Amino acid sequence: MKGVENWFKSQNWKAQSFQKQCWKAYAEGESGMLHAPTGSGKTYALWGGVVEEISRSKKNPIGLNALWITPLRALGVEIQKSTQKMLSDFYPEFQVGLRTADTPQSQRTKMLKSPPFGLVSTPESVHVLLAQKDHQRYFSQLKVVVVDEWHELLGSKRGVQVELALAYLRSLVPNLKVWGISATLGNKELAREILLGPTANFAVIEAKIQKKIRVHSLLPKTMERFPWRGHLGTHLLPQVLKIVQKNKSTLIFTNTRAQCEIWFHRMLEAAPELAGSIAMHHGSIDKKIRLWVEESLSKEELKVVVCTSSLDLGVDFSPVENCIQIGSPKGVGRFIQRAGRSGHRPQAGSSIYFLPTHAMELIESVALQNGIKKQQIEDRIPYLNCYDVLIQFLMTLAVGSGFNPVKIYPVITSSFCYQTLDKERWHWILNFLIRGSQSLQHYDEYKKLIQSEDGLLKVANKGIALRHRLSMGTIVSGNDLKIRYQKGGYLGSIEEWFIAKLKPGDTFAFSGRNLELVRIQKMEVIVKRSKVKQAKIPAWMGGRMSFSAHLSDLLKNALFEQQSESTPEFESLIPVFNQQKRESIIPKPNELLIERFETKEGFHTVFYPFEGYAIHEAMASLMAYRISLISPISFSMSFNDYGFELLSDQAFSQEAFLDNDLFTPEHLFEDIANSINVSEMARRRFRDIAVISGLVFQGYPNKPIKSKHLQSGSQLFFEVFKDYEPDNLLYQQAVEETFDHGMERGRMQLVFEQLEHKTVVWKNCSQPTPFSFPLITDRIRSKLSSETVEDRIKKMYLQLEKVAK
Amino acid sequence: MKTISIHTNHFVLHPSGGVYWKEKQTWLLADIHLGKVAHFRKNGIAVPREAEGSFYQKMEELLPLFPVKRILFLGDLFHSFQNNEWYLFEAWVKQQSFKMVLITGNHDVIPKWKITGLGLEVVPQLEEASFLFHHFPDQDTQAFVFCGHVHPGVRLQGVGRQQIKLPCFYHSPSQLILAAFGAFTGLHILKPKLEDHIYVTTGKEVVEITEKLS
Repeated sequence: MKGVENWFKSQNWKAQSFQKQCWKAYAEGESGMLHAPTGSGKTYALWGGVVEEISRSKKNPIGLNALWITPLRALGVEIQKSTQKMLSDFYPEFQVGLRTADTPQSQRTKMLKSPPFGLVSTPESVHVLLAQKDHQRYFSQLKVVVVDEWHELLGSKRGVQVELALAYLRSLVPNLKVWGISATLGNKELAREILLGPTANFAVIEAKIQKKIRVHSLLPKTMERFPWRGHLGTHLLPQVLKIVQKNKSTLIFTNTRAQCEIWFHRMLEAAPELAGSIAMHHGSIDKKIRLWVEESLSKEELKVVVCTSSLDLGVDFSPVENCIQIGSPKGVGRFIQRAGRSGHRPQAGSSIYFLPTHAMELIESVALQNGIKKQQIEDRIPYLNCYDVLIQFLMTLAVGSGFNPVKIYPVITSSFCYQTLDKERWHWILNFLIRGSQSLQHYDEYKKLIQSEDGLLKVANKGIALRHRLSMGTIVSGNDLKIRYQKGGYLGSIEEWFIAKLKPGDTFAFSGRNLELVRIQKMEVIVKRSKVKQAKIPAWMGGRMSFSAHLSDLLKNALFEQQSESTPEFESLIPVFNQQKRESIIPKPNELLIERFETKEGFHTVFYPFEGYAIHEAMASLMAYRISLISPISFSMSFNDYGFELLSDQAFSQEAFLDNDLFTPEHLFEDIANSINVSEMARRRFRDIAVISGLVFQGYPNKPIKSKHLQSGSQLFFEVFKDYEPDNLLYQQAVEETFDHGMERGRMQLVFEQLEHKTVVWKNCSQPTPFSFPLITDRIRSKLSSETVEDRIKKMYLQLEKVAK
Repeated sequence: MKTISIHTNHFVLHPSGGVYWKEKQTWLLADIHLGKVAHFRKNGIAVPREAEGSFYQKMEELLPLFPVKRILFLGDLFHSFQNNEWYLFEAWVKQQSFKMVLITGNHDVIPKWKITGLGLEVVPQLEEASFLFHHFPDQDTQAFVFCGHVHPGVRLQGVGRQQIKLPCFYHSPSQLILAAFGAFTGLHILKPKLEDHIYVTTGKEVVEITEKLS
């Protein structure tokens, strides 16, 4: 190990013990998992081992030796620089390449012809490499794959892409070493097992770096004015500005892109002097602008950046002194991660302010602080049986060198995601690709894969191959349109449904500017700057996060046990609690509170199980389903982390509800499955699946391709599968994902078993209670009905177009 | 079914999306998109083949209802270039004894001579009585227009935040846009104006929505 240690000395660094452990384990030929936070020196902990390996080998290395997979393109740039720096000091003749979606075509071709020693890439780009005809030769010298930030990938379909790529690379290179780098998470063992596969030769190394995290709740000055609902929190703007002014630089984390835009505007309005030193960062903003923000931040040129989870990861921002979290971060792990973005210098503590947007979130603040104290970090739940990703992967192999179905089957089932994939379903997938899931019939002209004489499955024609190449790797879907100035220059992308609501001449706010819509052309939104002050703020449908199980336990604990404690948080909640008690109660741990009241919208029935969004989503749909079996009724449902609401135009009776034992755990999953089918919860899941599996092809901006007459929405596919092919595995997957991933089956069972022992407290209220407010005002809703369409529409009306002024 | 009268003529709106013109014993059918499923399948997108079959079933249901002298297809009869679906249609046409006219739509890319070869008349538009039959809406004309192209639908709302999207016949003062007759065709949601009449179809019933809020 002398070489690398000496190199550390020459940089005036001291090797930390976890780095030495990694080098040693690596030298012994082990695979492994390193748990270390961002900015701790984790890159060199692994790269050191890789460089050492060259000096021990007798021959000079040829071809691609090390593959480094990172979830973020921005991180890739950083890693390429550091690994190249170390490598050059030892072996100036070797290169580390970077291959992401941003890499220019000329460099890609060059790297294909003469592969670099090391390659930094993303899961998508690795799959693109597997679509090359001679990828077997390209990867033949591979010694190690490092998967960075594994905790981010695990629990997403990109994680499944990594699993498949690793399983496949292992089949090409039997002695391949695999290393993972991950922040701490709840289910460490599982995370390791999924990545390293069936090997017994592995090491687990922990970087024992404990950062001190200080959490402060931002409380309003006058307690009476604490809002019951709302998700903006801008009433606390003056306090936020004070913090911003006090510190060198501050990151403000918001939960949605819309919230991000609004905060940016409000801050500029309130403190115009911030112009020039305030910026915004979210996933829809063009990457050039994002890169500029990241650079300016590390060069201390910005005082404040309003961002979303887009800055959860990424380059080191040493100058950041403070973070502010607006609204619930939905999990202890995420909160720690965000807090960790400040005070990046080793030993420096992190400091984060929590800004509750409504009263209920304040209780959460207490829960989070407890969670951090106890280091209760949540699990990441991996996907199982993602048929969509598998179909995409098989197509990727088919456009490249083709694949032999008999030989590839054991490779697929060696991965965690597909370990239970039986022959029957495997044959269904092959039949889907070869015959479009039909038995051989006259007249059918289905074409996708064909079997060549050597037994390999290959794409049937160039058109199909081209469409796959253009859309492969898309895991993040959505009908996004690019936003471009009339005179040129991209600003970012926006979802189609928002733009569809605007007419030319309308203004909307994006990336901190007010823009006027000029026209929509192909897949681009053409805009110009607007002088109008008031503009619509686009909303993005994007991920709603749910409480983790840990956090909901912490929350119950905070509400039930600490309520009487005189923390500043609970003191400021007293007026809210008093109002709640006037109409209803604050439930005790053994009680399930149900509130019923009437407004002009109809009859609201609100349940408070405190189990987190995902569980409530399924529970709401289950309750609605079971009630709808008693007599025909239509429900609109909303849910949040505390509870759920069933809204209906007719009141179902308290007696009917209580007498029918609707909380029984019997037939639980059968009833949930039925409710999913009736309420079509799976419809939303299907959108991603349709894009990933290649059913929906959207074409690409700047890449004109003849896809005329092949455009269709995922909703239409969902309907035809439902009507004509309900046993289609992709349709089934949508239902199963709602089950397993959306709501965590095991937890659901447990929740219902516990519910049986609880006392149901039904309160008829004269008006909405503070607890119910965030629920009844929520606009994102699911529907479930047992009335016929004909009966329903007789009670309905048409919303007319607003007449222009 | 629902009968409406326009310029003293009577039109029956059928839940399938078809419109029957009593005085002329003529069915008007828009946006059938024949062969759409086959076109997708030919390009490697596995839409269930059963989704295609509904045209012939629907016709079996419609034709016995009234005496039929003629069918006017208001455009987009075929979805794309010729594929195997053509032969099914050809066989069906041979069994019918009434006249058929295709008013060309933007999807009708199959050469005219092939369609006329089946015995259909092919025209860009048709004027008859005080009516104009066209594929596209908003024609610059004094005549009342019957058209398709849009695949119209509306969003209905009700108490308890209920909403539902349904295909409709969209009747404005100067034109009637037909609901799409084909399966696997999708909806385009429109926001009506006060003077428009909206007849939604559930597939079983046609219902006029009279209550409107602005």
